Amino acid sequence: MIKVNQVHKNYQMQSVLNNIDLDLSAGEVVGLVGPSGSGKSTLLRCLHGLEKIDSGTISMQGKTGLIFQQFHLFPHMTVLENITYAPIHVLKHPKAQAIEQAMMWLSKLNLRDKADAYPHSLSGGQKQRVAIVRALAMNPEILLLDEPTSALDPTLVQEMILVIHALKKAGLTLLISSHELSFLKQVTNRMLFLKEGALMNDQDTLTFFNEPGDSPKHQFLSAFHQLVQ
Amino acid sequence: MIDFAQSFLFILQGVSITIQYTLLAFIIGGVLGIGLALLKFNRKAVWLINGYISFIRGTPLLVQLTLVYFVLPGLLGINIPIFIAGVIAFSLNSSAYIAEIIRAGLNSIESGQFEVSKALHIPSFLMWKDIILPQALRNILPALINEMISLLKETAIISTLGEQDIMRRAQLVAAEQYTYLLPLCTAAICYYGLTMMLEQAGKKVEKVLAYD
Repeated sequence: MIKVNQVHKNYQMQSVLNNIDLDLSAGEVVGLVGPSGSGKSTLLRCLHGLEKIDSGTISMQGKTGLIFQQFHLFPHMTVLENITYAPIHVLKHPKAQAIEQAMMWLSKLNLRDKADAYPHSLSGGQKQRVAIVRALAMNPEILLLDEPTSALDPTLVQEMILVIHALKKAGLTLLISSHELSFLKQVTNRMLFLKEGALMNDQDTLTFFNEPGDSPKHQFLSAFHQLVQ
Repeated sequence: MIDFAQSFLFILQGVSITIQYTLLAFIIGGVLGIGLALLKFNRKAVWLINGYISFIRGTPLLVQLTLVYFVLPGLLGINIPIFIAGVIAFSLNSSAYIAEIIRAGLNSIESGQFEVSKALHIPSFLMWKDIILPQALRNILPALINEMISLLKETAIISTLGEQDIMRRAQLVAAEQYTYLLPLCTAAICYYGLTMMLEQAGKKVEKVLAYD
């Protein structure tokens, strides 16, 4: 689905992505963790084509959709207008079709009655789901979620898990960056650990969390466990 | 009494002249202002635009108007009628202020709105037209109405060139009847009525554009 080959990216002499190799297959749900500034957001933005890479190749079967940490809904448009604007104006879908597809997803994510509401009246969790539906409306096969839980109330993480399951059921491939380890543990089947722009670990979720040892990954994970305790 | 009723009507006829200057200058100045603000926001010709804005804001409108009316014709070798000179001077003057207002409006839009537009593959023209400018316009509407009100009042300066606007007509009546009180009060009431209407119209538009 996505094939990343020896990708490098620099910001003014400083390397932010360093020799990234990655291969994602259709239907996978992959978690991306690492310290702040390790390049998680940059990797997602490069995959979506929002930023150029300096060397290497990214090949893609299907389109990506990117969901930002802060959602960035259009405040002057209703929920339905937020979702249907790009399909109508960019993909040139007929309006009726765009609305029908939007309503289908809004129903699935329990937002049907919010179609005519403006973003300011939505809760954080609802904004998040609208942002997801807006990305879905562009018919992506791969969804890139940048810290989907960081702007949410901790009680909403459970709700997010249900959303991820619904997306998975719809056949989407997901790449999720997050600091919420227990959340990732529950929804992913594969985990990536990024440190200083380099991909240090690429393992199935069970091994990632349970393998004994003392690598940078273990230090990162144990720092988090100490924080939780 | 009959005399005063006639003078009153005479001054009132200046209202349409004042409105013509204000509307034309605001529309032309607005288009120029949007252009200047977009150029500056995209870091094009910044040095030139800053110089222009600095000159307009740093010199009296009367100086600018007389430059356009008395100096520009000599430089270009053409005759510029009062009305055209006035519209040019007021438009240029307004464009500088409007450019700064719009720039502030654009700066008030969070960068995420640009990013998400790009992420949804919305073309640049549509992004400006449907996403960025509507939000910016809403934020700066009070400041724009403010600018239109000061523009309307400042058009009184055109009376110095002999244009028969509200102010000039009031002065003519005053000179003829040897009294300032009534004609000037009439002029003041005309200006005040016009600015009140602008203020009310602004409030209506604000309500239409509101989304929270």
